[in-house]
Amino acid sequence: MSCDEQNAPAAPRPREAGGSLDLQLRLPSDPRLLAVVRCTVAEFAAVCGFKDDQCRGITLAVDEALSNIIRHAYKNRCDQEIEMRLQASPECLQVTFIDRGEPVDRSKCCAQPLDAVALGGRGTHLIRQIMDEVCYERVPGGNRLRLKKCLPQARPTP
Amino acid sequence: MKTFTRELNGTTIVDVAGDIDMSTSPGFRTTLLDSLKKTHRLAVNLTDVRYVDSSGIASLVEVLKAARNTDKRLVLFGLNRPVQEVLQLTRLTKIFEIRKTEKEALEVPQEG
Repeated sequence: MSCDEQNAPAAPRPREAGGSLDLQLRLPSDPRLLAVVRCTVAEFAAVCGFKDDQCRGITLAVDEALSNIIRHAYKNRCDQEIEMRLQASPECLQVTFIDRGEPVDRSKCCAQPLDAVALGGRGTHLIRQIMDEVCYERVPGGNRLRLKKCLPQARPTP
Repeated sequence: MKTFTRELNGTTIVDVAGDIDMSTSPGFRTTLLDSLKKTHRLAVNLTDVRYVDSSGIASLVEVLKAARNTDKRLVLFGLNRPVQEVLQLTRLTKIFEIRKTEKEALEVPQEG
């Protein structure tokens, strides 16, 4: 049986698909790749059903998380490995990062008062403001960061 | 990210295009600080900035501090939605002088 354009079933809309999505990336800690990752994350979030402003927010949070890993865990070394996993369920999007770098400084990753004229420290605030859950864990030989963003309520079926 | 610097009516204007992130913010910061040293009024055109992260925002804060310390003026204009969103999330919309257009950015504020 042929499957031409006319007979092919319409592609399911992301929110109607209902299935889970799983994308795993293994990337070097090179800041030049941040732009590439941003494009991927923005598209992934859109496929999951997030609105444009939410996609931008999730992309920003992921970019800030990767920048923090490169800057703090790997001390700006560009040749280290970061594992990143994007998982979407009908309820939420979860992004997990694993690095093999220095332990996370808890005092820097916990919410502190936002100083208007401070030069640093806004990345963590952005992540916490955008995402619904942020979890840092020390794992054997490295760090694991999990970010979670809940999907908006499913629209009522017309 | 690319920058282009020009002079107009006594104001130095830096046009910025592209993404400002961890890899490009050092160049962005240097361009703005160097431009500020040579002028009394610096306007940053962010119309073509598609993305800015916290390191880009930190660069802008640093330039603002340098401007205040030397009694100079820094104004941002042409902020598109992604840039506005990040400034709002970092609660910095109030500390910067922000104008919609280049024309408005070039207007000298009335004293007193």
